[in-house]
Amino acid sequence: MRAARRGDKDAAAELFRRHWATAWRAALGITGRRALADDVAADAFERAFAHLDGFDERRPFAPWLHRIVANRALDVLRAERRLSGDELPELPAPADLGSGDRGLLAAVSSLPLDRRVAVVLRYGVGMTPQEIARTLDVPVGTVNSRLARALEQLREVFDAG
Amino acid sequence: MPADLFERFPEPEPRVEEQALARALAALPAGAPPRLGRLRAPALAVAAAVALLLVAAGALAAAGALHVTVGRRSTASTTLRLALPGGARGIAVVVEGRLWLTTRSGLRIEGLPVSTAALSPHALYVAAGLGDSLVAMAPDGRRAWSRPAGGAVTEIAWAPSGLRLAYVVRAGGGFALHEIEGNGARDELLDASVRSVRPSWRADSLAVAYVGGGGAPVVYDLAHRSRRALGVSGATALAFAPRGRALAVATPDGVSVGQAVVRLPRVAGLAWSGDELAVTTGDAVRLFRPRGARLVPRGTTAAPRIAGLTAGSRVTVRDVR
Repeated sequence: MRAARRGDKDAAAELFRRHWATAWRAALGITGRRALADDVAADAFERAFAHLDGFDERRPFAPWLHRIVANRALDVLRAERRLSGDELPELPAPADLGSGDRGLLAAVSSLPLDRRVAVVLRYGVGMTPQEIARTLDVPVGTVNSRLARALEQLREVFDAG
Repeated sequence: MPADLFERFPEPEPRVEEQALARALAALPAGAPPRLGRLRAPALAVAAAVALLLVAAGALAAAGALHVTVGRRSTASTTLRLALPGGARGIAVVVEGRLWLTTRSGLRIEGLPVSTAALSPHALYVAAGLGDSLVAMAPDGRRAWSRPAGGAVTEIAWAPSGLRLAYVVRAGGGFALHEIEGNGARDELLDASVRSVRPSWRADSLAVAYVGGGGAPVVYDLAHRSRRALGVSGATALAFAPRGRALAVATPDGVSVGQAVVRLPRVAGLAWSGDELAVTTGDAVRLFRPRGARLVPRGTTAAPRIAGLTAGSRVTVRDVR
């Protein structure tokens, strides 16, 4: 981290590779679309690296990066919704998702956005409810409530399937 | 719910990873201030487009009524398109596939991935290519419309009346030109084989010029549903004058307006500023006034003096000389 902050590209590249896949999957989980995930994850890294010099290296990098990913994904989705109304499909097309468990992906993508973000950050990124609350700027109770409802909804989906 | 949800998620594509890595590394804080020579190439790449905007938006800038913020830092060679609608009440710019837009009425869009975008006259609407759809919204939040385009929309041009749009969409291995009403109704195919060059509307909104599949400019007359190809090949940009019927055509060798031709290398774009034609080349913006069969030079603005570099979240206008 220290070398990357000094502009060492090899160190920065190693930092990138260590966190890229998780960041991209978080973006995919929130946006539900590969193209947006590509864009959001790349943008998050770009923003993170552009501000490395101001990053407190005593703190872990991953939560900071994932916070940027989540907020960037939400910004993009909100802007897209403003631009397109409700007419664009929110669910990903199975072909768009490529490999992986499509049923699980489709189920996660079917969640309302606030619950989806909570699920991705909790069960994908591995954040605690407290960390998610800080990331989303909502009370911890709200996060727990969203997670509980999301799990209930997912259970219904899988039970029905 | 699995303990590790992501184990069952797909993998990102390696190509995407490499591109993202390159972008991220380019964004690293520099250990030492970059040399001017390294900045000059990307600066020049965006200079022409920014210069065009500044030429066209002079009055607006002087009024100070519009604050422009564009994008994130970009050190890579950048394709920059600035679209300034009639009335100059807003600015839309697509930088590396992202839309940044601001209007006087308060609409702001920051970093939305789009294929292209255009503000309507007086910035009443913005139309954009989003996925395989053409979408539009009003700045006051009125409901947007969205229409499947059948492919990625690559170019959009609003008629000066604001009642119609022409757009170019990727179709099969090529591109097609459509016309649609400003409310999203009555989509019509005008030409199934065109080049991906932004169409230009005549001032009376009754004709639209585009570049046909063979590279020749074509004027499509909407009143008579007829088309007329001009005797120019390899057109790279088109611009109808804001008054009258003069059509400026850029080719790799220069610019023509009717019979008047000026040979210029590296023409990057065209825009009219009143009666003057602004032509961006690699290092300058040249102004011409059509007079009969001549294009009379009206001066040159050295583009590097007004190069726009995206830095942080703002456009930086600086002198790179």
